[in-house]
Amino acid sequence: MSENYVAPAQQRWLRACMVCSIVMTYARFRDEGCPNCEEFLHLQGSPDQIDSCTSQVFEGLITLADPANSWVAKWQRLDKYVRGVYATKVSGQLPDDVRTTLEEEYRITYIPRDGSATEAD
Amino acid sequence: MASAPFQFAGDSESEDDNFNPAPADLSDEEDGADHDDSPAHKKDRRGSSPAADNDHDEDEDEGDGDEPVRTSKKRAREDDDEEENAADEEEEDVEADGDGDEEELEEDDEEEEDEDDEDVQHRHRRKRRKDHRAAFFDIEAEVEDEDEAEDEERDGEEIEDFIENAHPDDIAEPLHDDTRHRELDRRREIEASMDAEKQAEILKERYGKRAHARGYNDMAVVPKRLLLPSVDDPGIWAVRCKEGKERDVIFSIMRRVEERAGTKDELAITAAFERGGPNSVMKGYIYVEARRQNDILIALDGVLDVYPRTKMILVEIKDMPDLLRVTKTPTLEPGAWVRLKRPAKHAGDLAQVLDVTENGLEARVRFIPRLDYGDKSDSFSMAAPPQRRRPGMPGPRPPQRLFSEIEARKRNPRYLSGNPQTNTWTYMGEEFENGFQVKDIKIQHLEVKDVNPTLEEVTKFASGAEDGTENLDLKALAASLKDSNSSVTYVRGDVIEVYEGEQRGVVGRAVNVQGDIVTLKVTEGELAGQTIEVPNKGLRKRFRTGDHVKVIGGSRFRDEVGMVVKIVEDRVTLLTDQTNTEITVFSKDLREASDIGGQGSLGQYSLLDLVQLDPTTVGCIVKVDRESMVVLDQNGDTKQVMPSQIANKLPKRKIAVAADRNGSEIRIDDVVREYGGQQRQGKIIHIHRSFVFLHSNATTENAGVFVTRAGNVTTIAAKGGRTTANSGPDLSTMNPALKRMGPNGPTGPMQPPKSFGRDRALGQTVSIRKGGYKGLMGIVKDTTDTHARVELHGKNKIVTVPKADLVFKDKITGKTIDIYSRGGRGGFGGGGYPGGGDRMGSRTPMGAGSGERTPAWGAKSVARTPAWGRAEGSGSRTPAWGDGSRTVNPYDGSRTAYGDGNRTAYGGATSYGGSRTPAWSSSAKTPAHDGFGHGSKTPAWGLGVHAWPERLFVFARTV
Repeated sequence: MSENYVAPAQQRWLRACMVCSIVMTYARFRDEGCPNCEEFLHLQGSPDQIDSCTSQVFEGLITLADPANSWVAKWQRLDKYVRGVYATKVSGQLPDDVRTTLEEEYRITYIPRDGSATEAD
Repeated sequence: MASAPFQFAGDSESEDDNFNPAPADLSDEEDGADHDDSPAHKKDRRGSSPAADNDHDEDEDEGDGDEPVRTSKKRAREDDDEEENAADEEEEDVEADGDGDEEELEEDDEEEEDEDDEDVQHRHRRKRRKDHRAAFFDIEAEVEDEDEAEDEERDGEEIEDFIENAHPDDIAEPLHDDTRHRELDRRREIEASMDAEKQAEILKERYGKRAHARGYNDMAVVPKRLLLPSVDDPGIWAVRCKEGKERDVIFSIMRRVEERAGTKDELAITAAFERGGPNSVMKGYIYVEARRQNDILIALDGVLDVYPRTKMILVEIKDMPDLLRVTKTPTLEPGAWVRLKRPAKHAGDLAQVLDVTENGLEARVRFIPRLDYGDKSDSFSMAAPPQRRRPGMPGPRPPQRLFSEIEARKRNPRYLSGNPQTNTWTYMGEEFENGFQVKDIKIQHLEVKDVNPTLEEVTKFASGAEDGTENLDLKALAASLKDSNSSVTYVRGDVIEVYEGEQRGVVGRAVNVQGDIVTLKVTEGELAGQTIEVPNKGLRKRFRTGDHVKVIGGSRFRDEVGMVVKIVEDRVTLLTDQTNTEITVFSKDLREASDIGGQGSLGQYSLLDLVQLDPTTVGCIVKVDRESMVVLDQNGDTKQVMPSQIANKLPKRKIAVAADRNGSEIRIDDVVREYGGQQRQGKIIHIHRSFVFLHSNATTENAGVFVTRAGNVTTIAAKGGRTTANSGPDLSTMNPALKRMGPNGPTGPMQPPKSFGRDRALGQTVSIRKGGYKGLMGIVKDTTDTHARVELHGKNKIVTVPKADLVFKDKITGKTIDIYSRGGRGGFGGGGYPGGGDRMGSRTPMGAGSGERTPAWGAKSVARTPAWGRAEGSGSRTPAWGDGSRTVNPYDGSRTAYGDGNRTAYGGATSYGGSRTPAWSSSAKTPAHDGFGHGSKTPAWGLGVHAWPERLFVFARTV
């Protein structure tokens, strides 16, 4: 059983979550939501939300087999997330309201994954 | 009880989040929170598979078996009501809140401390927590049995401690279904009646705490430098793979990882990633993270398109972060230029961004449609099997043309709708505005970098404006051009400044360029003299004001040459040689120039050429750009044209001739001036029919070129000294009527008679009296009316000298001769030389004038006799004087000129002598003698002698 595998034909439907950068098909986002961020992104069953919070523009796929022990995961700040396929770069910006909600209600510092954050480091 | 508010809130707003456990750290809390979770929860858990709970998930799988999972799945298939039902049940426990809160806070604290704790610690904590729960269960058990049962079941699922409890209840649960259905309805009512504010409050309470619990904050705060890899981290190997298949390989590995997870040959790799992409330097490799190289060999064995058996490169620890470096793609701005990739029909076409969606993933662009309107090809495409069109071969695509409503209406009126007012149309499902097709396109289907729009393409967009205004946004164009880094090239000798990175501010001269690395010899600052290597990314060329530079590549000002006048950061303003205008370009597009003036030509057309624009219009090229030129047409209008718009080039016709305002002929290169108007003066560069194109250095407008009618100019100077008078026989001098009536004819001094025939001066030896050749001798070779061309003896040279400055010499003796005096060339006296004779002649009468006294003298003495008698009365009177002299000169009657006095000069001396003799002898002597002789008159003589001077004085005073 391999749920994170996506056949090449299906890869055109792939999207990446702008918060955790996990890469899944649109259908999975719709059916299951984001496994890491569902709590505040509420993607499941909500095409609008999926459109605005996930991006079809991403690059640099990562297979994360063992998030807890991988340096790659740590560097990408994925070590607390589930196993799966992630992207190193996700283009696009989280809508402002979602971002505000994240930061004010969940007190989560949102780190954009489009490369704009790395320059600060 | 702790879970009660959560459940409620989750229920009211969105069921999902409640059931979604997330990263590992959350699981702890959920242990507490999820006691009385519904079966639906399990479904979710299964579905979204939070690997966060990795450790216990695995345990669960092994110890627990799949039974609870199956149960949950079965339940999930039951209606949603059940799910909510479960939630509602918990709502009853809202009152018991306080207890739960406390517990939660405690847990929060714990979590912050132990976030990164290892398993052992987790377990320990869980055990401790069990005590809390035990108490909690007791209370709840009194209230509701079902809940407790569920709690236990859930706990059992997640935490091994409760496994035993879970099972029996789980089996028993379906029996209670009816009750729960009924209860659900009740809860729904209550829920609906609750006011929003209260809901929000609960929501807030719940979320606030959760966020805290998650520890996201901690994660974000850890700076990257603390995450740098160490020796304890697994290594990363680069493994070759087939280019373009990187993603597939990654997914294949993912599949294998998941397939073998939990089995005895579980993969030992921890991660694998790719950084492929058509333009990436890291394509053709995937990177696998593992503890041992052998793990990778095992893991990748048999995976398609990846070749672990070839060479595998261990990535050094310090290089590891670079593998995952992410640079931000510049965001699209409205007005920027992009190229389309996706509608295959338009692949490669230029498009302009109108708008970008908030998340920056989609752009609304406009581009020139490729429509053929033809039902023939449309029907063809529709009839054609779809797979024929699929393989990316658009086939012959229609040319780019702006949308035409008329054509669309003619061909397919059914598919056309729109508003003629705003000129927006929908045709065949596509939108058109002002002739452009407008479409929302995802940014991955746009080529954003290296767009390099050509001016020709861009002008199509500009000229498309409805009112014909040119609305070229050069700023956006510049931005698009700036993005293209490909054109930045440095060559040896370029002076380069580092403006980014650690070496910022260093200035040096390029010594060597290899790929992206430029070797600089530093010329300024502390590092002077050292040689450093820098990537060309943070470099720019450096110029100084006054440098002579040439624009290369990139910019639309390509090939302009000019002088740097201003530098702001990397923008350099220069004054072009060709047009004397200021242009601003990026320093990367400049290079120091050795040539002057720049190109000035485009293909076969160059500056100042005369070209035919259409059968009735010609124009002179006044500016040449990279891809277009500016032409000044015969009507004085300038227009920008492409080389393709020019019919042909008109060769320069040297023999072209026109007549100016005065009827004089004008030819190319003559200098003429406009008559009237601005009186512009210029050199003729082209004559076309009745138009002359003039070039002047007095203005820079249109490169100094202006056009006027031939009949509207007057000649200032003809080429090579050709004058209008000289260009042929001078008719005015040949016409005797004109000569007489000429401006100077009647009033001025009489012209000397014109000589005809061969000029006598020809062949004469002359000496030059004046000017730079003064004193030189020569032979007259040719003459005009006023000038002579003299071949000098001393120098092999023929010079033109005014005739008046020549002295004619005898060929043999060298004496000065008058070539005109011989042979009776009367009237030549107009010239200065023969006039000498006149003057000499006039001197004689002057002498006579002074000699006037002599006749007067004589006259007086003569006059004395007749005057004697009346001397007292009229002695001083002038007429008497004249009378007297005339009377006493009876022999001089032949001389009419005598009365004219000094004018008739010649005979003066003779008459003098003549007048004197008779006057002397006849009048003075004879009678006087007689009178004296008679004695009576003798005293009169003496008196006369005495009185003479007196009278003479009187006379002088009267005169």
